[in-house]
Amino acid sequence: MADDRASRPEYLGLTAEYDPASAEFAELRELLLGEERRKLAELQQRVEAQSRNAEEVAELLPEAVALRSGRDRQLARALAPTMESAISESVRRNPREIATAIFPVLGPAIRKALAEAMAGLVDSINRAVEHAFSIRGLAWRIEAWRTGTPYAQIVLKHALVYRVEQVFLIHAETGLLLVHAAPPDLKVTDADLISGMLTAIQDFVGDSFQQQEAGKLRTFSVGELTIIVEAGPQALLAAVVRGQPPETLLLKLQERLETVHLQFAAAFADFSGDPAAFAPARPLLEECLETVLSHQRPRAARSRLAALRWAIPVLLLAGILGWLAWRSNRRWSAAVARLETEPGIEIVEAWRSLGKWHFRGLKDPLAAEPAAILAGLGADTAGLDARWEPYLSLEPSLVIARARQALSTPATVTLRLSRDSLYAEGEASLLWVSRAAGLGMLPPGVSHLNLTGIAPRLPPELETLKAQIENRMVLFEIGSATLDPTERTALDSVAASLLRLRAATSRLGYRADLELQGRTDPTGTDAINQSLSRSRVDAVIPVLIRLGVPSEGLRGVPLGTGNPLPGRAGQDQAQVNRSVAFVVRVTPEPVAPEGSR
Amino acid sequence: MNQKKVCMVGLFGTGKTSLVQQFVHSIFSVKYHSTVGVKIDRKAVDVDSTPVTLVLWDLAGRDASQDIPASYLRGSHAIFFVVDGTRRETFDQLAELRELARAAAGEVPSLVALNKADLADQWVLGQAEEAALAAQGLQLLKTSAKTGAGVEEAFRWLARETVREGGKRA
Repeated sequence: MADDRASRPEYLGLTAEYDPASAEFAELRELLLGEERRKLAELQQRVEAQSRNAEEVAELLPEAVALRSGRDRQLARALAPTMESAISESVRRNPREIATAIFPVLGPAIRKALAEAMAGLVDSINRAVEHAFSIRGLAWRIEAWRTGTPYAQIVLKHALVYRVEQVFLIHAETGLLLVHAAPPDLKVTDADLISGMLTAIQDFVGDSFQQQEAGKLRTFSVGELTIIVEAGPQALLAAVVRGQPPETLLLKLQERLETVHLQFAAAFADFSGDPAAFAPARPLLEECLETVLSHQRPRAARSRLAALRWAIPVLLLAGILGWLAWRSNRRWSAAVARLETEPGIEIVEAWRSLGKWHFRGLKDPLAAEPAAILAGLGADTAGLDARWEPYLSLEPSLVIARARQALSTPATVTLRLSRDSLYAEGEASLLWVSRAAGLGMLPPGVSHLNLTGIAPRLPPELETLKAQIENRMVLFEIGSATLDPTERTALDSVAASLLRLRAATSRLGYRADLELQGRTDPTGTDAINQSLSRSRVDAVIPVLIRLGVPSEGLRGVPLGTGNPLPGRAGQDQAQVNRSVAFVVRVTPEPVAPEGSR
Repeated sequence: MNQKKVCMVGLFGTGKTSLVQQFVHSIFSVKYHSTVGVKIDRKAVDVDSTPVTLVLWDLAGRDASQDIPASYLRGSHAIFFVVDGTRRETFDQLAELRELARAAAGEVPSLVALNKADLADQWVLGQAEEAALAAQGLQLLKTSAKTGAGVEEAFRWLARETVREGGKRA
């Protein structure tokens, strides 16, 4: 009964107003039904409020959702199960709708996953072929190194030669051709028929193997041609490829197809057979047309080649600089070595700075000029910074040079150093010899000067005197040692000349001695002749002494028939040799010069 | 240029292919009927001086062993039915084919070619049958592959109807 009344609440309300019954009845009613009445009124109020609230909630809902979503994730959590079941319900009822909606989103994600899978595959191929060693493999390896491409890609590249000859954009449902792209050199007249047939074949394969949309024919090959068909919800993109298409082409087609779906969604919705609306998609298709030949290198390789073009002059420059540096280095070492061996030059420090050579050291004033030596080696002496402190070197060549300088040695004299003794040899004027002999201080490195090797040359006037003496000769009769009076007078001039000569040479520290050579003609025995020649000398000497010639300056040399003189004009040899001849010997004065006495 | 997909449907041996052969541009051989089950031709028609290309899907004739694939019918702008006027069963099964087409392509302009009209002596269809078809809203045309009668007309009608319909299929 309560249920019945509850369904008619107005009945209860009305009876309460229309029946002013006794207090007892009202009380009884209140006792029996009061609680329920209150509950019913409350419920009614709620029902009314609910419909009123729906309107308000509709107004507030978006804002409320935004507000709550901003505050925490409670709303998302609460809605998640509902959303999930809503989506699965939608998919169950019409999967095509959802597929169309999410196709542009799914495409890139799937492609990314595929790309990663491919990268892994390439890696494993890489490992597999890494150890394959052949001439070609080596060539490819070099190419990989040169182009900076993984080796496996090079191998693939050589295997792949392809040309995308045609691209069809086909309306999925009708098979009608929307856009067709082909290179200008390729005349295709029946693209629309091919387009239809491609769709039919797709359907045929799908139907034959009871496949759903996802399982449709994707690629098929006819001889050299491969046809790749990328299917989208609204359209197919089919590419006719000659040769082996690379994986990247598939990705490219997918990408283009997604773009077409995105850009031409409205055109697809309105499509009734007129493909004009899809004309702007042509460039997208034309981008897929490409011819890849085995000799074509990827862009990266070309940039590597460009880098190589730069590298050649750089390497050349580096080579030249390197060569210059090497040459400079060699010159430097050679120069230092040369200076180190040069007598009279001691290098203390040597270094190079930018374009400059620096030397510090000692140099004998008589040593060769270092700059000249370096110039002789081809060095640039303009950049030379040298500081040489003077010193005296005891190198023999320099000792000799110094002695030569100190002695004003004439060119006819050679000097030779043996230990600390200097030997002079050759011909020199008596004046030079006497000066050398009288030198108070010998040059450094020389303790003794030996002039015995020098043939002194007399001054011209003394030479004349000497000649006058030596041209004279005292002649004797056969077998006689007696001076004839004419010959005796001749001795006057000999004595006079000799005295003058002796006076002159003694001033130069020399003494002039007279050698008297007694001779005989060849007749008679040697003993007699020897004795005769002595007698002849002995006949002359006293005469000269009497004429004032000091006896110590006279030396008799009886030669007998030895060392005969040649004949003279008007006198036969025998006569010439029956004589006493004169030879003047000029020798260094062993004691104090005569003039100082 | 506006293109319309037209499916040509009929039982095996109704002469579909022969009927249109000399009127359409074709690059595929009849071998496709026995392999893929369809061969696609093109027919250019002018509708009020506007060129329309009919892409004609010549479906392999239906027989006991081969049904018409519904996927081929999908998206058709019009259906070109062919009935052999000398074979009663080709007429009898038309309703079934129509139902198949309607299911796949929806309500689209449809034309029935009563073919082999040149074989008048073997003709089995009477006024009653034709009236029945007309009552169903089907365009009827008597055609002959031998004489070529009715074929151009059929294409013109199909083109006009598809353009008029604007490709809007139910």
